[in-house]
Amino acid sequence: MNHKFSRRDFLKASGVGALSALGAAVLGYSKSRAEGQPHRSVGMATQHGNGAMPGVVGEVDHAANGFDPTEILTDFDYGRVSTLPDGRTLREFDLIALNKTIEVVPGIEFPAWTYNGRIPGPTLRCTEGDLVRVHFKNGSNHPHTVHFHGIHPASMDGVPGTGPGGGVEPGGEFTYEFEAEPFGLHLYHCHVFPLARHIAKGLYGAFIIDPRDGRPPVDREMVMVMHGLDVDFDDTNDFYAVNGIPFHYQNHPIQIKVGETVRVYLVNILEFDLINSFHLHANFFNYYPTGTSLTPAEYTDTLMQTQAQRGILEFSYKFPGMYMFHAHNTEFAELGWAGMFEVTE
Amino acid sequence: MTENPTTKRFSLRTLGLLLLPIIALAGVIFLFLSTGGGLDLEPAAPVEDLTIERYALEPGGIALHVRNAGPEPLTVATVIVNDAVWPFTVEPEATIPRLGRAVVHLEYPWSEGEAYGITLFTANAIPFEVDIPVAFTTPQPTTGTFWSFALIGVYVGVIPVFLGIFWFPALRQLGRRWLVFLMAVTAGLLVFLGLDTLVEALENAANAPAPFQGIGLIGIGAVATFLLLDALSRRQASTGTDEAAQRLSIAYMIATGIGLHNLGEGLSIGAAYNVGEIALGAFLVVGFIIQNITEGLGIIAPVLRDRPGLRSLLWMGLIGGAPAILGAWIGGLAPSPTLAVLFLAVGTGAIFEVVYEIAKLVQKDTSRQPMPMTVFYGVLTGMLLLWVTGLLIK
Repeated sequence: MNHKFSRRDFLKASGVGALSALGAAVLGYSKSRAEGQPHRSVGMATQHGNGAMPGVVGEVDHAANGFDPTEILTDFDYGRVSTLPDGRTLREFDLIALNKTIEVVPGIEFPAWTYNGRIPGPTLRCTEGDLVRVHFKNGSNHPHTVHFHGIHPASMDGVPGTGPGGGVEPGGEFTYEFEAEPFGLHLYHCHVFPLARHIAKGLYGAFIIDPRDGRPPVDREMVMVMHGLDVDFDDTNDFYAVNGIPFHYQNHPIQIKVGETVRVYLVNILEFDLINSFHLHANFFNYYPTGTSLTPAEYTDTLMQTQAQRGILEFSYKFPGMYMFHAHNTEFAELGWAGMFEVTE
Repeated sequence: MTENPTTKRFSLRTLGLLLLPIIALAGVIFLFLSTGGGLDLEPAAPVEDLTIERYALEPGGIALHVRNAGPEPLTVATVIVNDAVWPFTVEPEATIPRLGRAVVHLEYPWSEGEAYGITLFTANAIPFEVDIPVAFTTPQPTTGTFWSFALIGVYVGVIPVFLGIFWFPALRQLGRRWLVFLMAVTAGLLVFLGLDTLVEALENAANAPAPFQGIGLIGIGAVATFLLLDALSRRQASTGTDEAAQRLSIAYMIATGIGLHNLGEGLSIGAAYNVGEIALGAFLVVGFIIQNITEGLGIIAPVLRDRPGLRSLLWMGLIGGAPAILGAWIGGLAPSPTLAVLFLAVGTGAIFEVVYEIAKLVQKDTSRQPMPMTVFYGVLTGMLLLWVTGLLIK
């Protein structure tokens, strides 16, 4: 006569009774735990032997995906360069929208919408004052556009209602043309509605406009595009990542040397969540919001960006070792937005 | 030879006629499968169903016992624990065949008393979730837990039923009107218990893997039990035994019905014990004893005017109470929602059949001496007894 709900209701109210006699759970890190993760070949767990930590089992098929985040990190597309009659530099880029299934975590295929078959799309890089021509083809079965952040005419804005560039039908094409300004770190993404879905499916990339006289030279430059992956289409991110694949730089630490100067172009295009963040372990960095000034705005170890905010980080490591970098929205970190710098002498 | 030979002989021709529709059916199915039957439907996303039948926590680890309840094999691809992607292993393997079972092992440093939400993603990015409302080490089937479950069963089932039976000597002194009243009370108790058992069967049916058709199992279990008990009691009546023997057999049937109900109780106690939602405090056991003592009363009501003998009373008490022990063992040590559905369905059928038997007994008595309000007050009292004592322990 006492169905289970009556009992449970009672129990919730009365607290723990005879149960505690069963013995408390012994928690903590057992030695066997690290041994129980045979698939985690690289990264923190084996480096420190410290056992249970978030991560994926196995490795995604980068060859089938057609891109590898380790390569995306330093892959800057400078375009096809020529000189115009008036002496200006012309840079031409090719972007094609493609439906592509990407294995985002081992075993899970995400039916993505991509520029050039990768998430994020290519990092387009030019210099202030260049004439930029982006030849966009739509190879997918949905209308798409390329909307650049920057200063340009409305007809080149890639938003529905602004002319032929505001909605490129499947099989169609359009060339976006504008003069690159202002210098800084920007981004591009599809602007067809429903916008959240068009972005969340993977249509975005970084867009760098270097100052006319360049930035001070550094030893290494890398791009990191922070984003989410909503694999079950419930408008909530299931995984978080930089450059396409969750946990990639945790399993494949980024190699740098002690004393090397590092410049990171950091872009946030995270959909559904209000903010994203970046935290560098055991170090501080100079931060140039949007990269539109050559004078750092802040010297810090943590920054916050909302969607489409971006900025440039500069730092170098004093000591060798493994250093984590991750979203300090720790939930995002444990769902994939975590990586490591491996600093060697 | 006046009869039509086809009604008498099973000829080859009859066999052919019997098989003809089946052969035609095979042809139709083949036609449908090969042409699509005009329905050109290719599912956009695969239909997958993963039932997480139970979880077990051990220090530093969580095991999820899952069953593929979908139409196709599925693969467990990723496990997220409280918003953290967590490494896992699957035994025997990550790809689970239809209706196959597997155990997902996580090495996870959980904390006693906290809550966890676990999401399993299949390779087709379809999420399945399980909540662990209160984490604590799942009792392992040792001799110790075996006996502690038995003790719970004794307290909740056996002792209260026997306490109720101890009313026997006192109640024997009552007159016919009071006996009818007590039988009506019993019927009321049983109707309440029957509804309760049915609801619990429905709840378990919702947790059973879809292909096992929990609701259908309830129908099969309840109807079959009802009809079987009815047939048995009719056969006994037709053998010409006296009324006292019939009343005794009804008392046994009441004991059986209540026993099956207590088995269901044991199942849910054991299961709740496992998931950490139960703490059998002294107050709760007191509540059970108060409520279940009425079950013992119900068992003896039909035989109050007879001399059933100590042995019979002992057996009826055991039949009514001891299944709680068995239920606690099954629920606590090897819980299976499908099995629980079947037990509870059988209990439902048994209880309602017993109500029917009591109604027949009461009918016999009231045909000699009409007392309609006695029956009304009795049934209502029985139901209110359980409702009010239920209030005390909720």
